[in-house]
Amino acid sequence: MTALLKVENLRIELTTRDGVAPVIDDLSFEMNAGETMSFVGESGCGKSMTALGIMGLLPEKVGRVASGTILFDGEDLTRVSDARMREIRGNDISMIFQEPMTSLNPVYTVGEQIAEVLRRHQGLGQRAAWEKAIALLDAVRIPNPRSRVADYPHQMSGGQRQRVMIAIALACEPKILIADEPTTALDVTVQAQIFDLLRDLGRETGTAIILITHDMGAVAEMAERMIVMYAGRKAEEGPVDQVINHPRHPYTKGLISCVPHLMANLSEERPELTEVGGIVPGLREFGRDACLFASRCDMVNDKCRNARPPEVAFKGNQASACWFAEKV
Amino acid sequence: MKDELLLKVDNLSVRFAVKRGGGWRKKSYLYAVDDVSFEVERGKTLAIVGESGSGKTTTALAVARLVPAFQGSVDLEGEDFLTLEGDKLRQARAKVQFIFQDPYSSLNPRLRAEAIVREPLDSLGLAEVDEKRAIVDRLFKAVGLRPEQQRLFPHQFSGGQRQRIGIARALATQPELIICDEPVSALDVAVQAQILNLLRRLQEEFSLTYLFISHDLGVVQHMCDSIAVMYMGKIVEQADRLSLFNNPLHPYTVALLSAVPSVDKKRRKATRRVLIPGDPPDPVDPPAGCRFANRCPVAQPRCSESEPPLRDVKGGHRVACHLVDESAKSPMS
Ligand SMILES: Nc1ncnc2c1ncn2[C@@H]1O[C@H](COP(=O)(O)OP(=O)(O)OP(=O)(O)O)[C@@H](O)[C@H]1O
Ligand SMILES: Nc1ncnc2c1ncn2[C@@H]1O[C@H](COP(=O)(O)OP(=O)(O)OP(=O)(O)O)[C@@H](O)[C@H]1O
Ligand code: SF4
Ligand SMILES: [Mg+2]
Ligand SMILES: [Mg+2]
Repeated sequence: MTALLKVENLRIELTTRDGVAPVIDDLSFEMNAGETMSFVGESGCGKSMTALGIMGLLPEKVGRVASGTILFDGEDLTRVSDARMREIRGNDISMIFQEPMTSLNPVYTVGEQIAEVLRRHQGLGQRAAWEKAIALLDAVRIPNPRSRVADYPHQMSGGQRQRVMIAIALACEPKILIADEPTTALDVTVQAQIFDLLRDLGRETGTAIILITHDMGAVAEMAERMIVMYAGRKAEEGPVDQVINHPRHPYTKGLISCVPHLMANLSEERPELTEVGGIVPGLREFGRDACLFASRCDMVNDKCRNARPPEVAFKGNQASACWFAEKV
Repeated sequence: MKDELLLKVDNLSVRFAVKRGGGWRKKSYLYAVDDVSFEVERGKTLAIVGESGSGKTTTALAVARLVPAFQGSVDLEGEDFLTLEGDKLRQARAKVQFIFQDPYSSLNPRLRAEAIVREPLDSLGLAEVDEKRAIVDRLFKAVGLRPEQQRLFPHQFSGGQRQRIGIARALATQPELIICDEPVSALDVAVQAQILNLLRRLQEEFSLTYLFISHDLGVVQHMCDSIAVMYMGKIVEQADRLSLFNNPLHPYTVALLSAVPSVDKKRRKATRRVLIPGDPPDPVDPPAGCRFANRCPVAQPRCSESEPPLRDVKGGHRVACHLVDESAKSPMS
């Protein structure tokens, strides 16, 4: 089977006052139809930038693909025309954004907003688009869709608005759905509903899902494979259970152990949480020929500070970019 | 000193007047906190969890007298905090401090870090000038900031460092009770761990009592000694840490805990996910019976008829559900 999406040696540069920096630095990965892939990492590591790069929505005048390829169904998205890219965005790849409140238009009903997408991308008539909008609201489990379809966004709860966003993203039956922190602002009970919905979707329609999150628990429940990003680079990649049980990068290990997870066996003991000192480097540091995690790493030695570690492959499709990956 | 009550909240209610369509200038009330009672022992942490809008922040604000209570009392070290006035009030105010969720907006951008930390001392008229300087020095050290950072402005700090400033400020008046409202939600996971460890170290060192609000149940499980679960302005369940997490009784608590995604495979295998459909009812017009009845998977006719009282079912484990009795078995199991 050839991959549905194959990203190779992708480099995305941002031009800022401080100069040009590789916000995505030599990123490669691939995913198949129906697969769920998760991107994790702290704030500012380049997770959203990866998504925007694939969508062809990099910030204008600031961001550009400097080199590498994004092969989608055999077509290189870094080379297609703007018109073709718009077509792909509407029909094949859609995205749910980090902030649902700002991405719905307050002056149109949710039904109008869903129907509009259907008319534009699927050429449906007024009537058919409206009926399909109701069906989609039903699919994302909005109760009484026939009456809620005429609601304005402010008449819905945060969780319902996010479900409307998902309905819009699903309207064109995309091959890839990119969900950027789709549940960050929501209650866990609502998050569980949204995750359930996304899981069914993957299963029923074969839609591949890219889930961007900072929550390892969410990764563990939702995804088959994961990529840990750090300062614009892939620190580690592999099957979720394998990476969580045996991380091969000190950063992954830190990300997992610094969070107090709900455990099955609860005891009176509460050891201190592992601290990963320091913070993610700023954009200015990106691209240096060094391990960018070195300043926070407790395994660091001189080699780490002076050369970018190559990717070391492990059994079972796991890989880590650390000079001491075998020892982690 | 052991097991001494620091805080005792009785029948606390907070209501807000809201305008609603319908009758001409009809005034309705939203009971954001509705007849809530709980106690916290000195040196312990009580966590409040529950869905967005359930009244966690409002409860905390009312305890700190930052919003007026409509009814009820807040007993702090044996005094009714809500009725104090004058000097007594000023002294009591020093004992209760707040740490906010957003370290970005809760610090005055025009003040240097040192002035921010000193501010509660100034406004409560608590110490002499050189004394204050010594206190600020000590606080910076206690929260892990360097002395030279006292001269910097908030924007010159990272998010985690700003939260440390917020904590130092809260400690300035040597409080007994610190209310932490989502203290780490705005921080990256790695920084979260630093702040959570710091809060626990400080608790040991100064025998602080925490009222700890968080939507992150992993964090709550790590930080608290007991937990109150709120739903639509009411406490629906309260228990010590082990009882609540090992034997959740209220259907809402069961659903809430089951919804938390976990990296622990054993836990994923052991918990059956309970999805609760729909949304909570309109808080301005709460239903007559149990407020969870319309979403509860095991609701019976009587659940929507009469409101279940919060009662002790087993050694301090309190639950408000018609279907839970002294056998302390969850109706969901
Ligand atoms: N429009 C922009 N102009 C300049 N720099 C930007 C812009 N957008 C993002 N950046 C920088 O690019 C880097 C990567 O940002 P990105 O949004 O991809 O992070 P992220 O991993 O999605 O973080 P978060 O978890 O906070 O959403 C960060 O250092 C960020 O400051
Ligand atoms: N000043 C106010 N005026 C009117 N209603 C208010 C006011 N403050 C809060 N409310 C309402 O009171 C209820 C409880 O709000 P509160 O902020 O205490 O919830 P919370 O549990 O802290 O939620 P979150 O998890 O979202 O912070 C909500 O319905 C809210 O809309
Ligand atoms: S390369 Fe060095 S600094 Fe980087 S993660 Fe590995 S051991 Fe740590
Ligand atoms: Mg992002
Ligand atoms: Mg709140």
